[in-house]
Amino acid sequence: MTTAPWHHDRFAAMGTMVSLGVQLADDAWPAALAAAKAAFEELEARFSLYRPESELSHIADGSLTLPAASDELRDAYALAVRWRNETGGAFTPDRPDGVLDLNGVVKALAIEQVGAVIRAAGARNFSVNAGGDILYGGVDAAGEPWTTGITDPLDPDVLLTSVELFGEHRAIATSGFSERGQHIWLHGAGTGSFGLGDFSQVTVMATDIVAADALATAILAASDGRPAAFADLAGPHGAEVLAVTPDGAVYATPGIRSQITADS
Amino acid sequence: MRVRATIGAVVASGSILMIGWDIGLANMQAASTVDTSANSAGAATQAAAAAPATAPATDAASSGTSAAAAAAAPVPAGAADGTYNGSSVNTSYGSVQVAVVISGGKISDVKALKLTDQGGRSVSISAQAAPMLRDEVLSAQSAKVSSIGGATYTSSGYLKSLQAALDSANFTG
Repeated sequence: MTTAPWHHDRFAAMGTMVSLGVQLADDAWPAALAAAKAAFEELEARFSLYRPESELSHIADGSLTLPAASDELRDAYALAVRWRNETGGAFTPDRPDGVLDLNGVVKALAIEQVGAVIRAAGARNFSVNAGGDILYGGVDAAGEPWTTGITDPLDPDVLLTSVELFGEHRAIATSGFSERGQHIWLHGAGTGSFGLGDFSQVTVMATDIVAADALATAILAASDGRPAAFADLAGPHGAEVLAVTPDGAVYATPGIRSQITADS
Repeated sequence: MRVRATIGAVVASGSILMIGWDIGLANMQAASTVDTSANSAGAATQAAAAAPATAPATDAASSGTSAAAAAAAPVPAGAADGTYNGSSVNTSYGSVQVAVVISGGKISDVKALKLTDQGGRSVSISAQAAPMLRDEVLSAQSAKVSSIGGATYTSSGYLKSLQAALDSANFTG
């Protein structure tokens, strides 16, 4: 059997762009790509607050109650609540204006589902990058561990550094104030206005994309003047963190730190 | 399109030392806060990581400014590779000594060599909690990067993103 070729494609979804790289037989690729697009579209149709007809918009306008909502919506809500509890409330689906916003878990769920359909199509080696949040399978095209370039929050055109996946980690998610912070609100702010906290950008490497995304959001939001406290949030989940402060200092947990410094 | 992988401009060595100085003070304060409990818990690293860094930033900065000149003196500009120890300086937080690692003619690391609290006891520094200087972070090996992570870009922002450049390279290659 010859080695399957790599396929690349990208499509717009959830207000950002999804980039796929998949090693898969030619005849299986079109269906896998279509299934990946469908996974994003289905979740967006149900959860987008930008679509007045979405199920979540009906929750927001009061025409639908949670008990009467679909299993999918209630599962996503339960997942968001679970991560709210795991992070001491730093990650939360409750917007300051009272609207239930599941965007914090839905994009990660979509990425996870795309990973599942790609695996189901027979691929082992792949990357799914949705707006800078990435799920990986197997190894890269060179047969090496996947390596992610992390953008500099002060200049998104420049890479701050790069980190290689290791151990059981399969996902990398980043939250920052530099571009879209729509589901970030700082504790104590009270007004729901956005502002800089301990960090301007937080990248988390974890075993799954939902955990990585929720932890990155939580660490970014949990501003309390104790940058080192990020270890409290990431530690119990075995996650690795790379965080950048507004003045440019970089914090990292030991696994990432040993990768990105010459002398440690 | 080539992916740029550069770190910001090199900061003058004096400034780097001053930043290193501030970091040292913050860590020392954090570590000394939990000195007793960390020892009894036998989990110094975790405890130090969780300790509040209570040193007011303004105090640390002003102390650092006056101390920077003294600490900077022993580090020659354009020095050969190696580790250079700064002089030990007494502050209201205790004495601090930093070392600067020069690699390839550039400062690659600033370490706190010696931190003591006001009682003169040695305090441990948590590697987990210590911030790194930007110049300490290795620049990315762009040829090996497979995907770009970062704060979420909009679909229009994607067009000028590094990921778009990488995707384009994949499509044509």
